[in-house]
Amino acid sequence: MNNNILIVGGGPAGMEAAGMLQRLGYNTMLVERSSKLGGHLAAWDRLFPKGLQAKETLDRLTAGINGVKYFLDTDINSINILDDSFNVILSNGITILAKAVLIATGFDLFKAEKKEEYGYGIYDRVITNADLEAYYKTGKSDTIQNPKSIGFVHCVGSRDEKVGNLSCSKVCCATAVKQACEIKQRFPEAQVYSFYMDLRMFGRYYEDLYLEAQKKYGIRFIRGRVSEVSEKEDKSLLVKAEDTLSSKPIKVSVDLLVLMAGIRPAEAGKRVGRMLHLSNEEDGFFSTKDTIRDLQMSKIPGLFFAGTCTGPKTIPETLNDAKSAAMEIDEYIKQNFPDRK
Amino acid sequence: MTDFGYSINTSSRMNLDDFDKESFDKLAEMEPDVRKCMACGSCTASCTAGKFHETSLRSAILALQNGQEGKAIDFLKGCMLCGKCTMVCPRGINTRHLILSILKVYGTK
Amino acid sequence: MILTILTTAVDSIADQEVIDRIPSGYSNFVIPFVVGMVFILIYLLVGFIRILNHIPWEDKKKFLISLITPATILKNIKDIIFDCLLHVKIWKRKPLLGYMHSSIAFGWFMLIVLGHIEVALFVPKHFGSISEGALFYPIFYRFFVWVNPAHETLRSNLLFFLMDFFLLYVLSGIALAMFKRIKSIALGMKHTTKPSLPDRIALYCLWLIFPLRLLAESFTADLSGGSFLTVPMNFLFKNFFGNSLNFMPTWWAYSIVLGLFFVAMPFSRYMHIVTEVLLILFRNAGLKVRKPRKGLAEAEIYACSSCGLCLDACPMNIQKKNLKYSSVYFIRFLRRHNTKKINEIAQKCLMCGKCYALCPVSVDSPAIRQAQRATFNNCLPYDYGYLAKAADTGLANNYGDDGGKQPEVMYFAGCMSHLVPVIIESMKKIFKEAGIDYVFADEDGGICCGRPLLLAGRTEAAGEVMESNKKMIEDSGCKFLVLSCPICYKVFNEEYNLKGIKIIHHTQLIDRLIDTGRLEVTKSDGSFVYHDPCDLGRGSGIYEEPRHILSGIGELKKASKERDESICCGGSLGSLTLDYKDRGEITQGSIESLLAEKPREIATACPLCFKTFGDKAPVPVKDIAQIVCEHLAQKQEDKIYSEPGIPIAPEKESFAR
Repeated sequence: MNNNILIVGGGPAGMEAAGMLQRLGYNTMLVERSSKLGGHLAAWDRLFPKGLQAKETLDRLTAGINGVKYFLDTDINSINILDDSFNVILSNGITILAKAVLIATGFDLFKAEKKEEYGYGIYDRVITNADLEAYYKTGKSDTIQNPKSIGFVHCVGSRDEKVGNLSCSKVCCATAVKQACEIKQRFPEAQVYSFYMDLRMFGRYYEDLYLEAQKKYGIRFIRGRVSEVSEKEDKSLLVKAEDTLSSKPIKVSVDLLVLMAGIRPAEAGKRVGRMLHLSNEEDGFFSTKDTIRDLQMSKIPGLFFAGTCTGPKTIPETLNDAKSAAMEIDEYIKQNFPDRK
Repeated sequence: MTDFGYSINTSSRMNLDDFDKESFDKLAEMEPDVRKCMACGSCTASCTAGKFHETSLRSAILALQNGQEGKAIDFLKGCMLCGKCTMVCPRGINTRHLILSILKVYGTK
Repeated sequence: MILTILTTAVDSIADQEVIDRIPSGYSNFVIPFVVGMVFILIYLLVGFIRILNHIPWEDKKKFLISLITPATILKNIKDIIFDCLLHVKIWKRKPLLGYMHSSIAFGWFMLIVLGHIEVALFVPKHFGSISEGALFYPIFYRFFVWVNPAHETLRSNLLFFLMDFFLLYVLSGIALAMFKRIKSIALGMKHTTKPSLPDRIALYCLWLIFPLRLLAESFTADLSGGSFLTVPMNFLFKNFFGNSLNFMPTWWAYSIVLGLFFVAMPFSRYMHIVTEVLLILFRNAGLKVRKPRKGLAEAEIYACSSCGLCLDACPMNIQKKNLKYSSVYFIRFLRRHNTKKINEIAQKCLMCGKCYALCPVSVDSPAIRQAQRATFNNCLPYDYGYLAKAADTGLANNYGDDGGKQPEVMYFAGCMSHLVPVIIESMKKIFKEAGIDYVFADEDGGICCGRPLLLAGRTEAAGEVMESNKKMIEDSGCKFLVLSCPICYKVFNEEYNLKGIKIIHHTQLIDRLIDTGRLEVTKSDGSFVYHDPCDLGRGSGIYEEPRHILSGIGELKKASKERDESICCGGSLGSLTLDYKDRGEITQGSIESLLAEKPREIATACPLCFKTFGDKAPVPVKDIAQIVCEHLAQKQEDKIYSEPGIPIAPEKESFAR
């Protein structure tokens, strides 16, 4: 009998789970639709809360999947649920009969141009958190030329019924504070504003990060959502918001505006979900078997979830989730196929 | 009269006991969205009238909950119902109807 | 007895074509009809006086003047024939339904006219004199006369033929109407109204009138003449019943049904038959709804035929639960003075104007809703004390700062456009490209145009806002006012009365600039569908310019509902109470219609539609200005235009609709 386990998605969750399952003795296969592993992690420079290099984490994950067979640039063409296994046909023509399938399709960043009033894609100096990370990683950018003042806009595409997402994306607050500190490191003279609705610094060390941003970097936190951005003759931007703490509408000029695009379920993941008739919650992410204990299980036996396909998570949470999923899969196989070895 | 050296001034502290629950419930029945505000300030920031005159739906809702009805009306008197706040509200509050409802419940006393 | 009277009559006037069979011109069976007729005439007269009474003096004056103005008289006659008799508006949309209405209305009208012609020709003493039975004689003409077989003439035969022809015409309409009651979808209506009790009574009477008329005239056809329909029927009846015993009962029944119809009429939807005429006169006189229940509005309310065409038209009815908010029910509740319901419905409406555009009688229910909203919203407190200050410090200051050189063109983006910066950026680029020198009135935010206040029924407050804008614009000395928002466009056009200033929507401007070569666009292989914003299309009649621009840039695809049938985007400021979820359903419905021919992009010309469609559409949504900017031809050289204004002679009215 085969020992096949298929993992859909080669981001941190998929990689972590793949490595563990391989070490548990399964024949693990990983399918990734892009041309490299690592997902959004591969595009990030440093990670909150302590500013670790993303590359370090990625390298460790890559080392962990030693022996895992993975396919890059490969999509799922179809998945059929058989009696006790899954028949999966890949876009490269390979057919896999898997005992268990792990969905680790992750997230897409919210398309910031959909918030028209912020002018992403229209004004040159409006960028996203991902654009800023790319700049940190490469040190190159046409738009970031010694900015004197910089604004960070939290909750772009999150907690916003107007874009169909009422939920918090969880990681943007800490990311914004991290990025704000980093930009101050690069441009110590710049004035940095952070427009937030609520600062959700919930994790270990996050509060320290927040304190550092205030104390060491002098980031000006403004409690108010940005409602409009307009471009001035010199390409600088006029930002309008309300300082809700002083109950006054404010306007401020910035040379760079960073939109903290939120986390939305991956389109590619939704496609796989439709093949399996998986149900979603109202936030668009997959429904798990329950909401307290079986967070890695779907309602289909043998089908599991890991990572942000079931809602926003930080990198550590994602990795833990992946480990749990691997353990759940191991248990599932042991119970259902006792004679597998 | 004996001079104690101080007088009893009106306290600057807001007294939440002044909150008019009956009227607020009436308002919430007319426009349930009044309970949806998360005080992000988008409405105030984009307000057309707010450029000229202190106009803020967010502050008005807060004032009502703090029992300051008169203040709430002052925050909305300048509103031109242009609808920008409806477009920017992240909670999808029907702001225009809420404004009209507040004026109806508290403004015509 | 009848026969004896007949013989005497024949003897005396044997040389006439038609003989006054009953010289008194009276029979008992006419009583029900006369009672009904007298009742309805009195009712109409009282109603008319009541409506006139409620119309303010200046409107009354307008109305009276219109009645003696030749151009208006001609228009009145034309409209009455086209709308009331032929129902051209219904024909255009639903031919079968149009046939049904026009056959009953026009057919019945012709029967009445021909009846009077017959009386005038053959028994003139009964024509025009009430004492000689003018009220009923032409209606029951066939009962009272005997055709002289010895003097058969072509004209009487022709009239007989026409009478039968039009009776058949009406009957075919009645048959269709009965069929429609059972299967409305066959006539192109998804939803129909539920008739009230008086509606039913009047409806069944109406159904019975003409079959009974056929029976009655058939029974008398051997005496009083007939044609292809009544004569064979008469022959059949005679052979079937063998005598004329059914003669009187059918005439009685015919009269009773007519009388009953007239009595039921004021309480039923069939009041529209007469009220529509009054409404046409009022409308052509240029009257506007001021009160939601009185004066002109009352005429509008009673002119509603309750046909229910607005049910299918209303974008809210994509959800069945919203059917009750349709105009037809709004008007029904208005008739019944059910204030609670009226207020609820009045506030729900998106004011997209589609029901008004598609209404066969053109009942302006959006105007009535607006007036109804005013009854409870106009009195709410407001304080625009800041407007005077705003006019001083804000907008006017933008103008003429650069040493007296005053551009002729003012650009007013509008509140909503500030939430869609791509529109403003595109317009800036277009102005620059076309070499138009302009001033941006509300670059840092302006004063609202006032239409949202008007729509909410805050008439007085709107007046203050508009006055302030008007002063700012007129003081600036500009000649053209370019607008990006259809909401502003409509109100500037209709309410502002800006003297010497042309009001132009940016689609009109761009179209004009391309036509005159000031802007050059390149044709691409893209395909577009154009969404008609309510206030620009139905509201202001601008349908062609945007389409003309787009077809010059790529392939213009059609929406399944477009132009005056276009479906509101769901974001309209018109509705006060429709919640975000229900609006979303409308948006989806609208998008579905737009994507009928699978266009690559959706184009619109309204910031509100743009934002509402936003990320809900599976294809990109763009403003026309934005599309034009994306397809601007590479300029050969920097042209310098001698005239930095808009290429149009100010006296030309080409921008007016």
